[in-house]
Amino acid sequence: MIRRLTPSLSPGLLAIFIFVALPMLWVVRTSFNDLAQGSFIVETFTLDNYTRFLGDPWYLVNTLWFTVRIAILSTAVSVICAYPVALYIARTTGVQRNILMALIMAPLLIGLVTLVYGWIVIFRGGGLLNSLMIALNVYDEPVRYMWDIKGVVILLVYIGMPYIVLSLMDSIERISPYLVEAARNVGASPWTAFWKIVFPLTMPGLYAGLVIVFSLNFAAFAVPLMIGDSNTQMIGLVIYREALLNNDLPFASALSVIMVSVNALILVGMAVLFGRLILNRLEAKR
Amino acid sequence: MTRLDFGAVALRLFTLLMMIFLIFPILVTLVVAVNPREFILPPSGFTLDWFKAAWSSQTFLRGMGVSLVLGVVSATLANALALPAAMAMVRHDFRGKAALNLILMSPLLIPTTIFSLALYIWFVRIGYGAGLLPLFVGHTVHVMPYAMRILTASLHNFDPSYEEAARNVGAGRVRTLFSVTLPVIRTGLISSFALCFILSWNDFPISVFLAPPGWTPLPVELYSYIKFQYDAVAAALAASLILLSVVAMVILDQLAGLRRVLRS
Repeated sequence: MIRRLTPSLSPGLLAIFIFVALPMLWVVRTSFNDLAQGSFIVETFTLDNYTRFLGDPWYLVNTLWFTVRIAILSTAVSVICAYPVALYIARTTGVQRNILMALIMAPLLIGLVTLVYGWIVIFRGGGLLNSLMIALNVYDEPVRYMWDIKGVVILLVYIGMPYIVLSLMDSIERISPYLVEAARNVGASPWTAFWKIVFPLTMPGLYAGLVIVFSLNFAAFAVPLMIGDSNTQMIGLVIYREALLNNDLPFASALSVIMVSVNALILVGMAVLFGRLILNRLEAKR
Repeated sequence: MTRLDFGAVALRLFTLLMMIFLIFPILVTLVVAVNPREFILPPSGFTLDWFKAAWSSQTFLRGMGVSLVLGVVSATLANALALPAAMAMVRHDFRGKAALNLILMSPLLIPTTIFSLALYIWFVRIGYGAGLLPLFVGHTVHVMPYAMRILTASLHNFDPSYEEAARNVGAGRVRTLFSVTLPVIRTGLISSFALCFILSWNDFPISVFLAPPGWTPLPVELYSYIKFQYDAVAAALAASLILLSVVAMVILDQLAGLRRVLRS
């Protein structure tokens, strides 16, 4: 059977093998190479690129830990923004639902650079956000959003939110309305019904959304590049700088290996945590 | 007022606020693009001057041409690679099918930055250096999983007995493909092409890593423009791109359902 299918499957698989698998393996190999004067790669086996990053407290604090913190923060804020929206949209029907869904999905199909342009108009020193906040007396002095981590976090929340709304809705739409009704009939308050029935059943959707958005945020490089500054050294941006501006491919490769490994570790941690959460809920129900 | 009502109203208000958050930067760009007095808001009139300037800029037109060629070529190649694979996956069961599917979808699992860096290093390694090939390969491989996903979904609804019928009356393989299979899954193919095109058209990270000098796609061109110069001409260009994305959104929604297409 597989032999008969070889002609149909092999072009795609071959493309993946030559242009994804081999290049990724080659990144791992390159991370152990050395860089000679004049940006020449020297084939050798050294751990220098790793110790240069992992042995330097400055990189560890200002790049790795900083990226972890920013990714967790912006993912968490995305979830807080997305959850109520997903609950609300799941209840709507007809035209209202179509409009809301279009608004949610629009940022996913409009290019990042295009979206960033609008945000720059909003963020600038005398821009819309500062004028609005000062007019509303939220604060008196203009706040720096542009070239600052505040702007980066807002952008990451903005980009991440639609993904979480969509994956939460997958879960919410599967919940039978009769479940909530039944809980209400036996005397549960709306709040209890939500907390005991709806919330646990949205865990799979929430988890799926978290995995996607955390990974996107952890690997972010375009947003810190366009909105951030030298004070927003997220690891994706450092990889970009080392590879394209400093032409230090071995170091950029080592950083990539570190980034993927740390991301994988955090995802494993999340899987364990969510497994526990769901299991505990099931235990409690028994 | 019961607590339930209060909750419902709060939920509604919060959703409204979030929708404003999502749409605001898009609206701001559109308004700045047609506002005669540069950046002075609220708008004081309507002008298409910025659009004229943007559409007559040599840099932008060049970038547009590059993005157009890149988008069409990579969407075509991605679909040509994905279609036979999707057909094999949908119609046959074999050992290791799930694993093969995962491999074909793997570009989605790798951060774009690292995928682009890997290709960049790989092409340096095989001695190719900077050129057009890495850029086109990068875009094609990046959008291929999306084509796989849409084509797989549309082939699930396809009845293979149509093909058998065509073969029975003497049509060859190629003839059957072009006069039966492709017309039947037309909407799937068009949506897949549209999605691949728009993803390539909007891509920034892959192009930043892989575009050779003289072949700068539009998003990278727009980025280098707004890095140094910040005016309403850029707004008009951004607005044009927004309108194009809206067109793509409508096409995708009509043909395949936007939500199914974007499922991550």
